[in-house]
Amino acid sequence: MGILNAFKVRMNTLAIVLIPVCIAIDWAGHAVASTLKLPLFLDSIGTVLGGLLAGPWVGGLAGLITNFISSGTVDPIAAPYSVISLAIGIAAGIAGYYGWHKTWPGRVALYILIVLVASIGSTPLNMGLYGGQSGLPFGDSLYAGMVKGGWPTWLASYIDEASGDIPDKLITVVVAIVIFFGLPNRYRALFSVWRRTGDEKAPAPAPSV
Amino acid sequence: MIEPAVVFEDVGYAYQEAPREAVSDINLRIGAGEWVGITGPTNAGKSTLCLLAMGLAPHFFGGTLRGKVTVLGTESRAIKVIERSTDVGLLFQNPFTQISGARERVDEEVAFGPECHGVAQAEVEERVEETMRLVGISALAARHPLDLSGGQLQRLALAGLLAMRPKVLLLDEPTSQLDPAGTAAIFEVLGGLHESGTTIVMVEHRLETLCELCPRIVAMVGGRVVADGTPQDVFGREVVQERVGLPVYTRLARSAALPAPWPVRLAESAKAFGAPIA
Amino acid sequence: MAGGLSLYQEGASLLHRAHPLTKGVLMLSAIALAFIAPSLYWILGIALILLILVIVAGVLRRLIAVALALLLPITVLLLAVQGFANPANHTVLFAIGPVVYYTEGLYIAAIASLRITCLVVATFLFSFTTRPADITEALMQRGLSPAMGYVVQSALQIIPQTLDMAVRIQDAQRSRGLETGGSLPKRARAYIPLMLPLVLSSLVATQERAMALEVRGFGLPVKRTNRYEFADNAIQRITRWALALAVPAAIVARFVGWR
Repeated sequence: MGILNAFKVRMNTLAIVLIPVCIAIDWAGHAVASTLKLPLFLDSIGTVLGGLLAGPWVGGLAGLITNFISSGTVDPIAAPYSVISLAIGIAAGIAGYYGWHKTWPGRVALYILIVLVASIGSTPLNMGLYGGQSGLPFGDSLYAGMVKGGWPTWLASYIDEASGDIPDKLITVVVAIVIFFGLPNRYRALFSVWRRTGDEKAPAPAPSV
Repeated sequence: MIEPAVVFEDVGYAYQEAPREAVSDINLRIGAGEWVGITGPTNAGKSTLCLLAMGLAPHFFGGTLRGKVTVLGTESRAIKVIERSTDVGLLFQNPFTQISGARERVDEEVAFGPECHGVAQAEVEERVEETMRLVGISALAARHPLDLSGGQLQRLALAGLLAMRPKVLLLDEPTSQLDPAGTAAIFEVLGGLHESGTTIVMVEHRLETLCELCPRIVAMVGGRVVADGTPQDVFGREVVQERVGLPVYTRLARSAALPAPWPVRLAESAKAFGAPIA
Repeated sequence: MAGGLSLYQEGASLLHRAHPLTKGVLMLSAIALAFIAPSLYWILGIALILLILVIVAGVLRRLIAVALALLLPITVLLLAVQGFANPANHTVLFAIGPVVYYTEGLYIAAIASLRITCLVVATFLFSFTTRPADITEALMQRGLSPAMGYVVQSALQIIPQTLDMAVRIQDAQRSRGLETGGSLPKRARAYIPLMLPLVLSSLVATQERAMALEVRGFGLPVKRTNRYEFADNAIQRITRWALALAVPAAIVARFVGWR
């Protein structure tokens, strides 16, 4: 099946070294957002960028490990959501393989995919662990209002979660794509782990002459 | 006949999507145990030569390789860089990006290479202690690598390589970050290695240093070898004088209109000027 | 000064000396059991045991300092929302004006927040008493690939470096006239001018770093030698198994009627 090709890469040293850098970008993205007092998490920019640059393994591992490290050092409450970060990285990697980020319809599709993965993935966790709440005041008040108004809990929980994901992942995807195309050409070619022809060639094996 | 350690046969190499070759028509035979200095202006292809000997060109960079590079009997195309690292070491110019970035202590950083090679723990510790002493960083053993100065880092990087006991050592400007004392210390280490039979290929800008240390010099200009021989021979050639430069003593002797061949080393030139160093 | 991420605090307590695996299993089991346990009293019991361990480890003061800031907001939100809106609500407890609070919702909120407390305490207990280097070493001894061990160790160093670089870039951009204060749109416009240079400089060294790793043999398929051994004994091994088995046992118990 086509999608599995996105995963068929030998993780070379360059890809492995890229993962910690993407993890650091995840952290920095969040730190800069905090410094600018922006009301968003923006902690997955490195994950998405890594996926677009180098595929689902790099993106997925970056997301997973970012979450592990932050759970162990600053925010254990985020720990169960490591699997969601993993999924976001994988989704970005698959989209990167198919080049969604290169066309406008593709970019919209990428954004929608990431929002769906984040919101649909987090909702069961919210319901099982945190009474259906996302932990964000705005979303949680939506939840309260909807449940009080008779809506099903799962739907209220989803809307709660999505209300946070929709803006957060929008900026995340936008920033990741802007940065991706803001990189010099040779970086995009350098990190691409798939053997492709086109404007981004991966290093080819040397011919014996 | 000395078994050659590094052989370049009609080698040309172009980086991926580069308009022209970085090196062309390279023919070099470096014998086991030789200490060869490589010099030339910028973009002469000196670093590329090291990358070719290590195998990073073409394996890491892609690009197009013509001809054959054979190190210690194995062709570079036929062996992976990590496999090559058992016998060949390459010291890069930039000390800051050369460290692993995954170790919190200097001694653990030195141990990184041997550990990757599966060396037994007891021997790793032995090698670490020995190489740290050799390059003079034993006192820094417990420090965090990121707290070190540029010069200390470069010595750390060298220790990390020496701990793998390479037969061939490729050095790309190993003392660029070091002060004169640190530089002298490193060259003493290299001298010791040379005596015990390690083949050393050293890229170095400082021509005086090169002449003092290396019995053989290869001068490169524009990706080609323009001179290959003793310092006296090499700096006697016009193309080298114009495109590469001269050690300061040689230039002095030339402008003082002393007869050729001009001295290339401190002691010789002192004698030539009639003021022999005791 | 490098290495600002770790929460590790020096100490010689029983927990400090325990094998990282034991502590890891303890953390995971405690968290799992807290979420599986059905009623407030059981969860309170788990929390109390964790608290005792925290005191034994000598990290109580630090724990209170970091945990409170995390737990307070979520607890307040849980109580406020569940007490008010949970579908199981029907017993009125009190009212603040028009807003009515019910016992059922507050009880559910109390359970949820106590579970989260166990999660936070168990995690910090582990982090305070275990060196990051020991965690990766223990995992690699048990089969984690050296490449992944490298990724984690490198991340722990690169993260503080990158955060420092972010501050430097911010200063540099500000001195070039970038506005980082004021209205939300203005602040938002500063985001990419701050992030793009940051990402660029982070990526620059990557190629050289990868080359340097290969030159040292990184990725050779050799059998790993343990750098050092952790003190382990039968008691710890039994403890690990007991804790690990307690989790599926608890799940089964829930199915057969544990209330």
